[in-house]
Amino acid sequence: MDVRTLRAITRRHFFRQSGFGIGGLALTSLFDQRLFAQNVENPLAPKAPHFAPKAKNIIYLFMAGAPSQLDLFDNKPTLQTHDGQEIPAEFIPKGERFAFIKGTPRLLGSPFTFKRHGQSGAELSELLPHLATIADEIAIVKSVHTTQFNHAPGQIFMNTGSQVFGRPSMGAWLTYGLGSESRDLPGFVVLLSGENAPDGGKSCWGSGFLPTVYQGVEFRSKGDPVLFVSNPDGVSREARRDSIDLVDDLNRAHRTDVGDPEIDTRIASYEMAYRMQSSVPELTDISREPASMHEMYGTEPGKVSFANNCLLARRLVERGVRFVQLYHRGWDTHGASVGTDIATKVPELCLETDRAATALVRDLKQRGLLDSTLVIWGGEFGRTPMNEARGGSRLMGRDHHPRAFTVWMAGGGIKPGITIGKTDDLGYNVVEDPVEVHDLHATILQLMGLDHTKLTYKFQGREFRLTDVHGNVVPKLLA
Amino acid sequence: MSDNVPMRPLSLPAAVAAAALAIPVGLTCLPPSPRLGWAAVALAEAGQAQTPAQSPAIDFARDIQPILAKNCYECHDARKQKAHLRLDSAAAIVRGSENGAIVLAGNSEKSPMVRRLLGLDGEDRMPKDEDPLPPAQIALIRAWIDQGAAFPAGAEQTAAAPANPEPQHWAYRVPVRQEPPAVKRTDWTRTAIDRFVLARLEKEGLAPSPEAPLETLVRRVSLDLIGLPPSPREVDDVIADAARSGRDAAYEHLVDRLLASPHYGERWARPWLDLARYADSQGYEKDLPRVMWKYRDWVINALNQDMPFDQFTVEQIAGDMLPNPTSDQLVASGFHRNSMTNEEGGIDPDEALYEVLVDRVNTTATVWLGTTLGCAQCHNHKYDPFTQKDYYRMMAFFQNTDYQSRTFSDGTRFSEAIIDLPTPDQETKRKAIQAEIDKLNDQMKVTTPAFEREQADWEQAAKAEASLHWVTLAPKQLEATGGVQLTAMADGSVIASGASPGDTTYTVHAVTTLPRITAIRLEALPDPSLPKGGPGRDIYGNFQMNGFEVGASTGSGQAPDPLAISAIRADDSAGGANLDTFFPKMLPRGAHAPRGWQIDASREDPRRPRQIVFTFDKPLAVPIGTPLTIRLKHQAAAVGQAIGRFTLSATASATPERIVQLPARLRPILAIPVAQRTEQQQKDVTAFYRTIAPSLKPTRDQIADLQKQLRALGIPTALVMHDKTSYERPSAYVRRRGAFLDKGELVYADVPAILHSLPDDQMPNRLGLARWLVDERNPLTARVTVNRAWEQFFGRGIVETSEDFGTQGSPPSHPELLDWLATDLVRGGWHMKPVHKAIVMSATYRQSSVGTTASVERDPYNRLLARGPRFRLEAEMVRDGVLAASGLLSQKIGGPSVYPPQPDGIWDIPYSSEKWMPSDGEDRYRRGLYVFIRRSAAYPSFMTFDATSREHTTVRRVRTNTPLQALVALNDEAFFEAAQALAARVLREAPATSNDARATYAFRLVATRMPSTTEVGRICAALDKQLQRFRSDPAAAAKAIKGKEVQGVDPAEQAAWTLVANALLNLDETLTKE
Repeated sequence: MDVRTLRAITRRHFFRQSGFGIGGLALTSLFDQRLFAQNVENPLAPKAPHFAPKAKNIIYLFMAGAPSQLDLFDNKPTLQTHDGQEIPAEFIPKGERFAFIKGTPRLLGSPFTFKRHGQSGAELSELLPHLATIADEIAIVKSVHTTQFNHAPGQIFMNTGSQVFGRPSMGAWLTYGLGSESRDLPGFVVLLSGENAPDGGKSCWGSGFLPTVYQGVEFRSKGDPVLFVSNPDGVSREARRDSIDLVDDLNRAHRTDVGDPEIDTRIASYEMAYRMQSSVPELTDISREPASMHEMYGTEPGKVSFANNCLLARRLVERGVRFVQLYHRGWDTHGASVGTDIATKVPELCLETDRAATALVRDLKQRGLLDSTLVIWGGEFGRTPMNEARGGSRLMGRDHHPRAFTVWMAGGGIKPGITIGKTDDLGYNVVEDPVEVHDLHATILQLMGLDHTKLTYKFQGREFRLTDVHGNVVPKLLA
Repeated sequence: MSDNVPMRPLSLPAAVAAAALAIPVGLTCLPPSPRLGWAAVALAEAGQAQTPAQSPAIDFARDIQPILAKNCYECHDARKQKAHLRLDSAAAIVRGSENGAIVLAGNSEKSPMVRRLLGLDGEDRMPKDEDPLPPAQIALIRAWIDQGAAFPAGAEQTAAAPANPEPQHWAYRVPVRQEPPAVKRTDWTRTAIDRFVLARLEKEGLAPSPEAPLETLVRRVSLDLIGLPPSPREVDDVIADAARSGRDAAYEHLVDRLLASPHYGERWARPWLDLARYADSQGYEKDLPRVMWKYRDWVINALNQDMPFDQFTVEQIAGDMLPNPTSDQLVASGFHRNSMTNEEGGIDPDEALYEVLVDRVNTTATVWLGTTLGCAQCHNHKYDPFTQKDYYRMMAFFQNTDYQSRTFSDGTRFSEAIIDLPTPDQETKRKAIQAEIDKLNDQMKVTTPAFEREQADWEQAAKAEASLHWVTLAPKQLEATGGVQLTAMADGSVIASGASPGDTTYTVHAVTTLPRITAIRLEALPDPSLPKGGPGRDIYGNFQMNGFEVGASTGSGQAPDPLAISAIRADDSAGGANLDTFFPKMLPRGAHAPRGWQIDASREDPRRPRQIVFTFDKPLAVPIGTPLTIRLKHQAAAVGQAIGRFTLSATASATPERIVQLPARLRPILAIPVAQRTEQQQKDVTAFYRTIAPSLKPTRDQIADLQKQLRALGIPTALVMHDKTSYERPSAYVRRRGAFLDKGELVYADVPAILHSLPDDQMPNRLGLARWLVDERNPLTARVTVNRAWEQFFGRGIVETSEDFGTQGSPPSHPELLDWLATDLVRGGWHMKPVHKAIVMSATYRQSSVGTTASVERDPYNRLLARGPRFRLEAEMVRDGVLAASGLLSQKIGGPSVYPPQPDGIWDIPYSSEKWMPSDGEDRYRRGLYVFIRRSAAYPSFMTFDATSREHTTVRRVRTNTPLQALVALNDEAFFEAAQALAARVLREAPATSNDARATYAFRLVATRMPSTTEVGRICAALDKQLQRFRSDPAAAAKAIKGKEVQGVDPAEQAAWTLVANALLNLDETLTKE
C-alpha cells in the first residue's frame, strides 16, 4: 500500500469514524479509487460525477411559508366566477385534512389579473412584472405536489426528501457527492432574509447522518458572515498568522513523534481557516459592485434583504460554491389577521423578491454562468383554492395545500420557455404531468451529473438516498 | 484445479456441468476493508498466498450471511425468489435454484454461486445490475465453500420464520462466556481482557505496544473517567506516589480516586444524554424552552452512585410505575419525555403524539437492543428478524400515556405530565403566596355600592372627555401625493378618493384655535363611499398608517420642523399596544416598513371609529391662528392602504391620553344607558373598568407583586411519564407503510417474537418491558451496554456499529471478549464502575498510542488494538479542557442549564422571541454538559465539534476535523477568554525567572506532559515575535488583554502571552486524547 492510499484510509474524519466502513464504501463505489486518493487532502475537493453534468452549481431560492400559486402562476378563471361559493364536496377527498380550515370552505378567486408573456406565452400574475420579462428563460412546473401540510415537516421534506428531522439536506448530498470548486469557502452556503427563519430551522440545511463538513454554512447578515471568522479585538492578521505558525510548528513536530496522519489534516484545516478569514469578508462586501448592479437587483449594501442575498449568491457561485440556498420567509398568507392576507401580503412579498430573482437570472446569463448554474424558485407546498376564513376572518386567506403548487427553474440544463403540468379547474388536484418532490430531487441530481439511485450513504443498517426509494427524473424539463 | 478435487456434496446431488475451467482464481488483494473486520484481512492474505485451506474458520452466520443479506435478499428471500432461489435459510441454500445446486462444498471454483458472482459462463453477473461484490467478499464466500460450506446449528430454519425463533444471527443468541484464551506473551497480559486481545494479535502476528509514559496515561485516564485533563500538580502527585508505592500501585490509586470523583458522573452523563436525546427545548418550529435539568442531574447522580444498570434502566423506562415511586424515580421516567414535541399551529395532536411514540420505540430499541427497529415502522425489517407487527406491539407499551389536548388560538396541542419539585421550604412559601393571591382576586370581584358609584362617575367622565376637551381642526387646504383626492366635509372631516397607491402622504393645513396644545388626535371614521364601509381604502376597509408629523409655522415662510412627539396611544391597534414602531427608528428584520397604526378587519368590525392620540414632548404654545401643517404618511405598502376618512382635533388637556384609554369596542356600549345594556355588555364594561379603577389599584399592585414573588421562588419542574389507569393490555394500531392515517390491525403490547418472551411474573405494560430489557435472557442489553463503554475508551466499539447489532451492522472484532465483558457486567450486579475499572486497568488500555508507519498501515483503525487509543476529544470535553487549563472552570455540579457567551443572533433562527442572555459569574464557566441546548439553534461551537442537536437518540457522534473548528478554537469568545485567563494564570503562577519556565508551565497546563527543549524554544521564539508587535502597538495589547489585566505586568508582555496561550489551546495535543 503506498502512502497516498494509506492517507486516503486514514482520512477517517472525512466520513464517519468508521471511515471506509460506512461512508467510504459509498464513495469508493461512486468514484474511481485513484481519483479519490488524489483528493484526500480536502473532503470538499471536486469529485467526478456519475456522468457528464449539465449544471455545476445550484442557487435555490426557497420561498419559505409557501407562496400562493393561484395568485402568481396558476390562473383559474373558474375560481373567480365561483368566488364565495362552497367548494363542491366531490372535490375534497374523503378524510382530507387541512391545517386550519374547518367546515365546508368557500372558493376564493384571485384578486389579481394574469397575462401571457414572451414567445412561450407563459401565464403570470400582474404581481410578477419582472419575471414576465424573462418568461422565455424559465421552465414553470405547475404540478408539483408533496405529502406534508405543515411548514416544518414540509420544508424538511422539500429539502431532505423526508419529513423526519435528521436526514441530510439536498445541499449536503450534493457536496458529499461532488465536493466544491472553492478552495477557501464552504461548499454549501445558506442565506436568510424575510420576517424570520424557516420553520424547519437548521435541519433544512443540515448534514443529517453525513459528516458535518457537508452541512450548509449560514452566512449571517449581522456580525461575522461566518461564525468566528473575525479575530478577537487586539489580534491583527499578522498576529494571527504567527499564532497559527506556532500551532502548525508544534503540531508538525508532534506528528513526527506519534505518527498520527490525522495531525496533517488538522494543519491543513488551520491553513484553510486562515484563508477564509480574508476570503469571506471580501466576498460578502457588495459595496464595490457597480451602481448598475445595485440598480438591477435593487440591492442596498448593509441591508438585510433578499436582493442583497441574490447578489451574494451570484458572487458565491462565481467563486465555485456548489450549492447556495436563499430562504425568504413570509409567504404564509392565511388571511387570519392583518398582514397575512392575500390582497396585501402577496404583493408586498413580490415587491421584495420579483426584481432580484429576475436580476439574478439575467446577471448569470450575461456572465455566461446560467448554463452551468441551476436556479430553482419555490416553497414547501401550495395554498388552497378556498378561503380559509379562520375564526370568521373577513380577510382573503388560503390554507396550506400539498396537492398542487408551482416551482420554476432556469439555466443548468433546464429547457427554457416551457410550462409543464396542469391542475383541475379549481387548481385543487394535478391532472397532468404530476411531479412529486422526489421527482424534483431526482431531476436536480440528474442535471448535476448524479444518478439519484446511486448517490447513497449507509446509515443504521441501510443505504440511504436523497430520494429514498422514490423519484423519477422528469424528462420534459431537460433541455 | 480439476474435477478430481474431492467434493463433499450437500444433501442434494450436484449436477454440475464439467466444463473446462480457466477462471482467475487468484484473489485480488485489496487493502483491508475495516467493515469486514478481521476475517477479510485474514482472507486477503490467504488469497494472496493461494492457500484458502489455511485461512481461519469462516462462520456462516458471522461472515457470510451478512453479505447475502445485503446483496442478495432483495431478489432471493422469503418474499421474492428469482429463479426459485432463496438465500435466507440454510435449507434453501442447500436446495439451490431451479437450475440445481448452487454450492458445492469444498469446491468454490465449480460452485455456480461463485461463478455467477464472477459473471462467468456467459450468464448475468450477480447481483444483477448492481456493482459486483468486492473481491474480498467473494473471497470469503469461496473460503467458506472450500472449508465445507458448513452451517451453524439452527441455521436450517428460515431466518424470517417467526414459528421458530431460534436466531441465526450471533447478536440474538445469549452471550456465551468463554475462558480467556491461552497466549504466548504472558508477561504482557494483566487482565482477562488482555488475553483476548493478545490472542488475536498473536494470531495476526502482531505485537502489542509498550505501556504509555505515566504522564500520558494520567491524562488519558483522567479524560476517560472524569472528562477533565489533570493539573500539573495532580500529575506530580502521581509521579511522587509512583516513587513511593510503585508505578502500578500509583496508577491504581489514581483510577480509584477518579472513579470516586463527583466529576465521574458528569463525564459519563454526556454520552447517556446523547442517547436520551436530552435537551432544554421542545424541538420543531417555535422550539420553546422546556425545564428538564432535573432529569440531567438525576443521570449524573445515578452514575456517581454507580446505580446498577438494570435499576438505571427500570427507573428511566418506568420509574413512575414502581410502587410508591419517589420523586427521583418520577424524574428518571423523564427519559422518554425527552422526545421532541411538535406544537406548530395546525398540527393534529394525535399525529404529534404518534411521532413521539415512534421516537420512544426507536430510541428504546437503539439504546437497549442496538437494533434498528425503526425500519419496521413501515414494513417488516428487510434484514433483521423483526416484523412490522413487532414494531407496533412495542409501540403499544407506550400507547397508554395520559395526555391532554388543549386548543389555543393557533391550533391544538397535546401535553403530558409535568411535576413541580419544590423544596419543602419553597412549598410552604408557595402555598402562602397563592392563598394570598386567591384572596385578593376574590376581593377584586366584589361589587360594592361605592365601586358602582365610582364606575358610574368614570363612565360620565369618559363620555364627556371627547366633547369637553377636544377642538376639531378644520382643514384650510388639503394635499395628497400619488393621485389621491382629499375632500373636506362640513363636519371638519376629510374623505379620500381617486387613485389608491401603496405610497401616499396626506398634508392638512389648518390653524390653531387654542393658545396651548398638548396633543393632536386623529379619528379614523367609516364612510359608505369606502370599501366595506371604511375607514381604510384597501379592499377590506383596512388602513395602515406609518408616519405622522405636525409642524407649526413660525411665520418666517420656512417649512416648519416636525414637533417632537413623546407618546402615541390608540384605542385599537392590530399591531398591539406598542406603537413605538410607528416611527421608522425600529425597523424589524427585513425590508418591511414599520407596521404603524393598523386595524384588524378580520377580527373587529372595521366600520367602528378609532382614535389615536399623539402627545407632544412639550406643549405647543403659539398665538391662536398660527398655521399648522399635519402630515399622514402611508409608506411602502404594496397596495393602497391609506385612511379613507378622518378628523383631526387638538386639546389643551394635561391628560390627553385619557380619551383613548377606553377601548374602541367599548365606546358604543357606553353610549347605551345602563338599564338597556345586555348582561354581557355590562360585564365587559365592568371587567374593563376593574383593570383601571383607581380604588382597586392597590389590590392590582399587590397581586402583581405576589405573582412576581411566586416566579422568584424558581420552583423547578420536570416532565415525567404518567399512564392512564387501565386494566386492559395496552394496544396500538399497525400503521400501514408507517402512515399515521392508514390504520391497520390492532395489536397488543408485546416484545419482538424473535427475542425471549416477557418474564412470566411481569404485566405486559411499560414496567414489564423495562424488566424484560434487563432480563438475564436478553442477549443484547448487556452486550450493547459494554460495547458503548468500550467505544468511549477506544474510540470505536468491539462492534463498530454500536447502534446496530443486526445483520447489517459490523461483526464484533473480538466476539469472545464482548461476551466475556457482557456476562461480567451481569455477574457483577450490573455495576458499571467495575467494568470501567477493568478496562482502564488492562495492559491493552495502557499501551502507548504511538503508531509506527507499519502498524498504522497494517491496521489504520486500530481494530486489533496493537496500540493505545488516540482521537480528538468530544465537543464538551474540548470546552472543559480549555476551561480547566485556563483555571476558569467552575466545579459546580448540577442545576439549571447555563448560557455561556455565544455570538449574537444565533437564537434568531427559531420562530419565537426567546433571547439568549449570557450567564454571569461562575455559570459562564460551567462544564459543557450544562450548556443550554436549544434543538433548533444549538450552541454553535459544540455543533462545529460534532455534538448533536439532540433531536433523536445518537449512539455514535461523527468525528470530523474542519476549518470551522479551527475558527472556533481560535476566535470564539469563550475560547479567547480562556486564552486570556491562561496567560494571566501563567504570569501569576509560574516562576517569573524565565520565559522557559513559563512556557513549560503553560504547555503542561494544556497538554499535561513536559515539553521538550525544542518545543520550549519554539514557544519562546513565538512569544518574542508577538511581544515586539504588541510593544509597537500598545492599543492592540490593551484590547487583547481587556478584562484580564494582571497587576504589575507589562500589557504588551501579557498580550504576547495571550496569543501564545491562544495557540497552545489550539494544539492537536490539547484537543486530543492520546
